[in-house]
Formats: sequence, C-alpha cells, structure tokens
Amino acid sequence: MKQANNNEVDLLLRSLARPRGESSLQGVATSGESVASEHLDADELNSYAEGVAPAPARARYMEHLADCDACRGIVVGLTQAAGAASRHDVAHQQGGFSVWQKLTALLSLPILRYAVPALVLTAVIGIGLFALKQQRQTDFVAQNQPRLAAPPAVQGDNGAAFNPTPGSPAAVQNGAKTGSNEETSKDNLKDQKTQAIEQPTLAPESSVAKTASKDAAQPGEAAGAIATQSYATEPKAAAPPPPAPLLDAEKSTVLAKEQPAKREDQPRDRDEAFRVAQDDVHGPNRARNNVALPANGRSAGSMTERGSSGADKKKAAEVETRTVMGRHFTREGGAWVDNAYDSSRATIRVTRGSEQFRALVADEPGMRTIAEQLGGVVIVVWKGRAYRIQ
Amino acid sequence: MSQRTEQIEKLFAERASSLLGRATDNHGLAAETLIPRVKAAVTKYILRDDPQASLAVIGDFIDKLQADDLCLIVACEQGNQKAWTDLVERFSATVRSAARSASSNEEGAEDLAQSIWAELHGLRLREDGKPAGKLAYYSGRGSLAGWLRAVVAQLAVDQHRKQSRLVQTEEDADFDRIIQHGQEETTWSGHGAATNPELQISAKLAGAQLQKALAESVKQMSAEDRLLVKLYYFDGLRLREAGAVLGVHEATASRRLTRIHAELRQQVETRLIGQEGWTKSETECAFAEVALNLEADLEPMLATEPVLMKKENEVAG
Repeated sequence: MKQANNNEVDLLLRSLARPRGESSLQGVATSGESVASEHLDADELNSYAEGVAPAPARARYMEHLADCDACRGIVVGLTQAAGAASRHDVAHQQGGFSVWQKLTALLSLPILRYAVPALVLTAVIGIGLFALKQQRQTDFVAQNQPRLAAPPAVQGDNGAAFNPTPGSPAAVQNGAKTGSNEETSKDNLKDQKTQAIEQPTLAPESSVAKTASKDAAQPGEAAGAIATQSYATEPKAAAPPPPAPLLDAEKSTVLAKEQPAKREDQPRDRDEAFRVAQDDVHGPNRARNNVALPANGRSAGSMTERGSSGADKKKAAEVETRTVMGRHFTREGGAWVDNAYDSSRATIRVTRGSEQFRALVADEPGMRTIAEQLGGVVIVVWKGRAYRIQ
Repeated sequence: MSQRTEQIEKLFAERASSLLGRATDNHGLAAETLIPRVKAAVTKYILRDDPQASLAVIGDFIDKLQADDLCLIVACEQGNQKAWTDLVERFSATVRSAARSASSNEEGAEDLAQSIWAELHGLRLREDGKPAGKLAYYSGRGSLAGWLRAVVAQLAVDQHRKQSRLVQTEEDADFDRIIQHGQEETTWSGHGAATNPELQISAKLAGAQLQKALAESVKQMSAEDRLLVKLYYFDGLRLREAGAVLGVHEATASRRLTRIHAELRQQVETRLIGQEGWTKSETECAFAEVALNLEADLEPMLATEPVLMKKENEVAG
C-alpha cells in the first residue's frame, strides 16, 4: 500500500515535469535577468560541484540551485566532469606505480586467492600431459609383437631341421652345428620340446624380458632409458638372415642396447617380420617370445608348421602373442585374450575410463599395467574372475 | 582596529606565506600579492555566513586552498607572460573540452574556446590600470580546471541568452505556472469520466486541485529535497547522478526520494482536506484515479523508468 502511494506520487511528479520539453540551454534562456546578479559565480559553482564549499555556503548554494535552472545545469555538468576527472586521476596514479608497488599488488591476497589455484591446476595438467606422453613412450617398450613368420630353418649338419626360435640356446646350439636345409614338422616338434625343457635355464634372457616389462610399468624410468638408446638400422631386405653363431655374449649385449624403440613401425609383412625376428634374436623380444611360446599351445602348434608352406606361414604370422605382468595374451578377433581364459566363462565388462575401471585399477595396479600395455579390448583372468576391458 | 581584526590580518599574512611555500612554482610572487586574494576568498566562503568564525576555521580554510593554481592565476593577473604561457599550455585542452560540451556544434565550440582567453585576460582596464578579467574571481578553493569549465559554461549561457533574445523576468516559473494555471489547464482527467460530462468536469477540477496542491507542497520542501526532485524529475538525471550533485551516494538519494514521496503525499492530502474540503477517501480516490490515468499517458515515456527505479531501490536496499 505504501509502495503504491509512492508510485502515485512518483507519477504525479513526472507529470509535473513533463511540460518541460526544452533543452538545458533553452531553459537557461528563459531564466530571469532580474535575479541574474544573484547567480552563483564560476568559483562558487565549481566549489559546490567539487564538494569543497564550506557547509553554510553549500546550503546557500543548494537553495539557489533548487530554483535556478541555469546554475543547476552548469553544476550538473561540472559534477559529471569532476567525476570523470577524478577517475582519470585515479587511473593516472595507478599507472604511475613503481615496480615494487606493482609487485606488491601482484602478490596481494585478493590476487593470490585466484592465482595459486590456477597455478596448481596448470601444474597438475602439465604433469598429467607429461605422464601421458611418457606412457605413450612406454608403449614402445611393450609393443605389440606379431607372432613372427618362421625364419628359414637352419639345418644342422646331421640333416635335422631346426627352428631357430629367437633366443633359444637350443637354437643357438643347433644353429651352430647345422646347415640350412629344409626342416620337417617332426623335427620342429622335437625342437619345441627341447625348448620347453630348456626353458628354466633361460634366466638371463628372461630377466631381460622382465626388465622390459618392469620398464613398461614404470614409464618415467623407461623413458629415460629409451631416450638414451640409439637404434640399429634395419637390415636390408636382400640381406640373408644372420647366422645363429653370431650370438655371443658381447653381441647379445650390444644388440640388446640397440633394440629399436619404435616397434609399431616394425614391418608386418612376413619377410620384414622375419628380419626383425632375426635382429631381435639377441634383443629383449627374444626372451618375451621364449616365455610366450611354451605357454601358448596354439602358437606352439603353429610354430611346428612354420616353413612348411607359404599359406601356413602367413596364418602363423597373424597370430600375435604378448606377455604382460607374467600373463600371456593372444590376439583373437581384435581382442587380447588371456591364455588362462576359458571361453565358456562369463566376463565382467569394464569400460576404460569408467568409474568401475578406475576402482578396479586402483585396487589392482597389475590390471592397470595390463590395460595400459594392451590397447583395445582385453580379456584377462584376474583372481579367478574374467574381466573384459574395453 | 579590533584585536580580532588584527589577529585575522596576521593570520592572512602567515598563511599567505605558507601558501607560497606550498606551491611548487610560486612564479616569484610575494606574500603581499596573495593576501588580498586570500582575504576575499575567506570573506566569500566563511565570513559571509559566519562573521564570527574562529581563527582555526579560517586558517584551515586557507590551508586547503589550491596553492599552485592560485599562484598561477595571480601571476597571470600580475602580467607574468611565462605564467600565461603555462596557463594556456596546461589548460587549453580543458577549455576546448568544456567548450565542446557547452556548444551544439564544433564551430561554436572553437569560437567559445578562443573567446575564453580574452574573457580571462579582460578586455577593459580597471581603475588601477590592470585588465578587468575573470581571473580576479578565482579564489583557489576549487581546482583551476573546474573553475575554467564553469567559466566556459557561464560564457556559453551568456552567449545563448544574447542570441535567443528570450528574456523572462520570472526565475522559477515551473511551479508558479502550474499553480497559476492549475485550474485552467486540466491536464489530468478522471479515469472513465469521458462517458459522463458532469463526471468529466468534476474529475478535471479534482485533477487540477491535486496538481496545484502537489506543486505547492514541492515548493514548501527543503532546498535539498527540492533540488533532488528537480534533478531527478525535471532534469532527468539518474539517482546516481543526482546523488553526485548532492554529494551523497545513490542509495542515500533513493532513500530520500522515497521519504519525499511519502511526505509529499501527506502534505497534499493535508492541503486538499484542509483547504479544499476533501475527505480522506476522496483524496485517496483522486490519487488512484489520476495515477491510473497518468500511467496510461506516461507509459510510452516511462518505458524503462520503473525498471531503473526498481533497480535503484534495490541498490538502496
């Protein structure tokens, strides 16, 4: 009710003012000359506008201004100009701050209140990006390695076919005393058995594989190591596979150091894969393959057929295996399948980046390593449960 | 010479010397040349309103004078060419800006800016042989730039008066005119009265009486309240701008305006009941009807005003 009453008075006052549609100077022109002598002079107008007139004088000026359009118009203009001038002065003073004042202002609490969280956030993002970059580099170490096509079999002097499984001491031993004739599947099987028997004796090579896996799990360390490595150039396509006897302790060490980092660039075709396999005989992949082969019955079977025919070799080349965290995975239909997985078992689907995934990898860091090193869909058996990470 | 007069004279001499000492460039002035100027300023701002002002008040007033600006102006008045050069160099931009604000076109602004220097110097000579310019009226109380703006604005008003040749002998004609012609000009008519001629005449008379009562009530308000009403309603200033002229925050101006509304309504009702013989209900009815009618009339004009007012009231809390 009170507000409504005020609005009524407000409307009435606006209506009173409405007939005055004239400009300020026109209003000034109608001001009386008889009272012109009583107008405020420029000094009084200015002192009022700047608020420096003493209180009694100010009250007197206000009395005049309430009734004098001309003086009021000037005072309004002066007040606005004085306000703009004072703002300009303030800006000028702010612009004239010394370096120390600027520094003090920069480190003031109101600014730091926002600057510190922003800096922390930037640092976190930067570290995250750095870690991500390092993680990508570690992928090179635990690079997806296709099951290599069988290299030309090296035949021993006794005519027995020999499959030079990379890194296998048996292969080395046999390769040293055999020639290069056709191998038979029977002999291959025999050699495989020999490999399996001799597997426990491969501690030095296995340790290399473990080191590689460890490096993959520790991106920062691996990155440092990789950054210092120089990588051997690939052998020419026409070059014959290096003979097994080249494998000695010194050579093995050198080649292990010269292991290529960019394994995703490794050739996928059979011939190149073979060459790489020959190069990797002395590298960390040697151990990996050695570890993977005996545990993988499917691949073992295919290995026995290597070299028997071109189609079989191609088929064998398509089978990929990898070993992460001591578990062996086979590439099947675009997914990495744990060899311990039984297809009749139900899987627990976990999507990467989901809350469930984060919780899982938080509880089981090994799962994180596996998921990170094996891209795409991974089926892993962990603590008696089968997980499908995708 | 009384003791107080002696004390004041002594104070003037001391503070004039102090004022010269405060100035970064006193232009070689002697304290004696400043004493008359200081005395004039004290008389104008202090002794006119309070002849018995204490020496402390007078001394404080002198200490707050703009020493640099006052010395520059006095030096110019003394005919110091270097001071004139300084004055023109430092303030020609200010003068041009003020002239542009006061003039409707660029050419007029340039003419005004040029003429201001002649006005400052003075085209005629005083009895003592010195030019009778406007420099003599600067007291040093406010800034020299502000004073120059005021001089330019007053000069623009004078020029406009001469050109328009429209001279009115009454200064404040607004409310007088409304009161005088309130009964003749029926600007407010009752809502829905058009259907009945008798009611229409009655409503017009009521509106005229209400208008007259309101105008009289406004005239009876205090100078500060009246100034606020003039600034806000007649000059079209916003509350922030009106508050700046009054030297108060816009929230304070808003509160004052609300109080003024209530007081005005009270006074108008009292006048209508006491002088015109209205009843309380009649006044309330007249307010409502007239406001309703005005709202329709002013709606296009006030399209944005209620929003502004509401916002300003919110600011006022």
